[in-house]
Amino acid sequence: MVQYSRFQLSALIILFQIGSSSLFLLASDAKRDAWIATLFAMLVGFALLAFVTLTIQKLAPRQNLIDILLAHFGRYAGTLLAISYVFYFSYKSIRNFREFSDLMIVYLLPHTPLAVVLLLLILLSAYAVYQGVEVFFRLAEVLLPVVLIVYCALIFLLIGADIVHFDRLQPMMEEGVRPVFDAAIPEVISFPFGEMVVFLMLWQYYGDRKTLSRVTLYSYLFAGVFIVITNMAIIGSLGPVSLISSIPFMMGTSFVQIASIIERMDPFVALLLFTGVFMKQTTYFLAATLAASRLLKLNHRTMIVPVGMAIFCGSLMFRSQMAQVWVGFKYNLKYHFPIFQIAIPLLLLLIMLAKNRRMKVRA
Amino acid sequence: MTERRSTPISESSASALEWIMDELGHGADIVTRAFACGGADDQPLITLVYIEGLVDPMAVNGRIVDRILDASQTLGEAASAPERLRLLKEKVLAVGGITEVQSGEHILKSLLEGHSIVLAEGSANAICANTAGGEHRGVEEPSSQTVIRGPKEGFTESIRTNVSLIRRKIKSPKLRIDYKSIGTVTQTQIAVVYLKDIANQKIVDEIHERLDGIDTDSILESGYIEEFIQDRTFTPFPTLQNLERPDAIVGGILEGQIAVIVDGTPFVLLAPVTFNRFFQSSEDYYQRFDIASFLRLIRFGSFLVSMLLPSLYIAITTFHQEMIPTTLLVSLAAQREGTPFPAIVEAFIMEITFEVLREAGVRMPRAMGSAISIVGALVLGQAAVQAGLVSAAMVIVVSFTAIANFVIPAINMATASRLIRFAMMILGGTFGLFGVMTGLMFLLIHMVSLRSFGIPFMLPMSPLSISNLKDVFIRLPWWALSTRPRLIADPKANVRQGKNQKPAPPSSSAGERNDE
Repeated sequence: MVQYSRFQLSALIILFQIGSSSLFLLASDAKRDAWIATLFAMLVGFALLAFVTLTIQKLAPRQNLIDILLAHFGRYAGTLLAISYVFYFSYKSIRNFREFSDLMIVYLLPHTPLAVVLLLLILLSAYAVYQGVEVFFRLAEVLLPVVLIVYCALIFLLIGADIVHFDRLQPMMEEGVRPVFDAAIPEVISFPFGEMVVFLMLWQYYGDRKTLSRVTLYSYLFAGVFIVITNMAIIGSLGPVSLISSIPFMMGTSFVQIASIIERMDPFVALLLFTGVFMKQTTYFLAATLAASRLLKLNHRTMIVPVGMAIFCGSLMFRSQMAQVWVGFKYNLKYHFPIFQIAIPLLLLLIMLAKNRRMKVRA
Repeated sequence: MTERRSTPISESSASALEWIMDELGHGADIVTRAFACGGADDQPLITLVYIEGLVDPMAVNGRIVDRILDASQTLGEAASAPERLRLLKEKVLAVGGITEVQSGEHILKSLLEGHSIVLAEGSANAICANTAGGEHRGVEEPSSQTVIRGPKEGFTESIRTNVSLIRRKIKSPKLRIDYKSIGTVTQTQIAVVYLKDIANQKIVDEIHERLDGIDTDSILESGYIEEFIQDRTFTPFPTLQNLERPDAIVGGILEGQIAVIVDGTPFVLLAPVTFNRFFQSSEDYYQRFDIASFLRLIRFGSFLVSMLLPSLYIAITTFHQEMIPTTLLVSLAAQREGTPFPAIVEAFIMEITFEVLREAGVRMPRAMGSAISIVGALVLGQAAVQAGLVSAAMVIVVSFTAIANFVIPAINMATASRLIRFAMMILGGTFGLFGVMTGLMFLLIHMVSLRSFGIPFMLPMSPLSISNLKDVFIRLPWWALSTRPRLIADPKANVRQGKNQKPAPPSSSAGERNDE
């Protein structure tokens, strides 16, 4: 029986949420108010998580998303939705893989072909998926302290080297509340806060059902506050420049120079980027594999090769990094992801509640 | 294994003896001694058989031969063969371990274990007296796991000595020693040693089950056992510890681990084991806790260095020169200017040269040691740099890597890092830092998936156990280590010592009291 502990769940949620989002400036449309937009999106995401996603799991414990969809939407609609979720998870995975490979090529390996980097990454993730849910959660548990320590050290260095100036955050909401909301909804909700929907594939293995909500919500809040703080640190250190830099956090830390000994922090930022995106892409890879294997009633290990192949080919289909980012911001975040993160779960929850009520009335 | 046959012992001593000699191939080291005891010369009443070299000659001569000769009158007058056997057992033979055996196979087995067999004419039973002994190495200082402070005794090749070394340290009736013999031909004795109620019974059963499952003809060293019972074969990491030091084994047993002693080798296995155990030396617990903790951190650091340093050097000099401070970069570039090979080839040349040197150092006769070190240090080090084959920086990197490797207390973990190093070098040479990170992540996934007898290999880190962390990266003072590591020992035997034992000076000092 696969099972994982409280701390392991917490570790994966935090790592998954932080992912790479702390390195980038979320809600950059809101300019220096980005952190307020992020905070707002985080709270909306919290409500979504508490009242929709977690509630679905609580109404159907020991079932994963595919089971629930098949049980409540009937055979045809359920299968269709389940397949679309397999695609959604795979697509999220593809985006992460592609983004990661592109960044690696830009920053570390300018002469290496994209396909080679991608292949190496997918093999690595496939190995983690092959080892299964339990090992993956344990991996998160080992990585979390490292990631948090490196982040804290970097932020401490940023402040210690007198790079962060919080007066750059002022004036707050110069143009009113509107631009802040516009930036937050729906972009920041769908990335990263609404992504918690993927845990519907993983929660069923959690050992202690009573603490599920509490652990999940606390971990989410921790990760959310952490993202807001790094967001503030990025704006505080770079000001308006943070809007045009591709990895603002790396740019910020590259200014750190203390006593000409502590400098060149890039490798550490690259390490954070690596672990963060790796955890995220693998979580989606794992979820896609689990979902596909549940649909076809196969062992999840047999699905690794087809899903992995699909992700590999899918990642190569974007013409360029810019195309990928553009598609993401222009369409995915606004129109596509909210369907899977908000609309379908909400509909599912309503159906489940209605059915529950009918059952109660009958009883 | 074929079912054990049972051949009855002939009542005639002569034919019984003949059967034994036939079975053992009339070896020259089989000693037989007939005692007439007043019977006919060609039909002695009592016959003694033993194998020279396996027995303790003092015991055979003084306690068996002497006693039988002294009592030959009484023995000759005994009424019947069973009566004579009873007399021998009860009055004559002055040996502690005496058993009466009925089958020929039992006689052969006992003979080969160093027992002496006493046959009495007319009896279908034989007496088997434990006179095992003979020459073996005495207890010496361990050669591969040395410490500065701590006991200087090490295990030997004799399982009896090894068990007694453990018994002497744990004077508890709960110490359990389960013997079994494995190997259809070698019949090697194995002892499973643990503390009842402290070791987890499930793991003890698991070890017994795996040991009983071994079907082989020979066990010559604990390495055979290790490869038969470890959880995963295809991994560079060892999942059993081998130790030459009784104090380290006893320390493990007291924490709930289980020792497997194999006759014929001073290396005793310890299971289940977690990753951090390979970085502990028994000396950590004898030294002050602050220096012990510091040394632990040094060891973990050295493990990383020994695994990663060459690959990081290759990656950074090949792909990410911008990460090197400018002055260092200039001097590195000046050094590398004259060398013909890319960094990865250079590193491979030097690493493999070092591995060859190291292997040569182990194999060659001691007398040639100094010759090799001169050749190694001067010819391959300095001369290679001067000849422009490799850069000086690479020699520094390779030698520091090699030295870091010797810091790791467990040799089997040190060898793991040696193998991983080469894979990392290839990754670093092809994908730079990205490759090294990929390799590290792969290792981490692999390590969290490992188990040793059901115990997660990365135990205190994953699953996280805060109380176990008291003795992983740092060692807290003894009075703070009040519990055994969670999950390894029996959960009921968690508490190890009393709380609040932190020493403090007396509340009113001795000097003040004198003033009163």
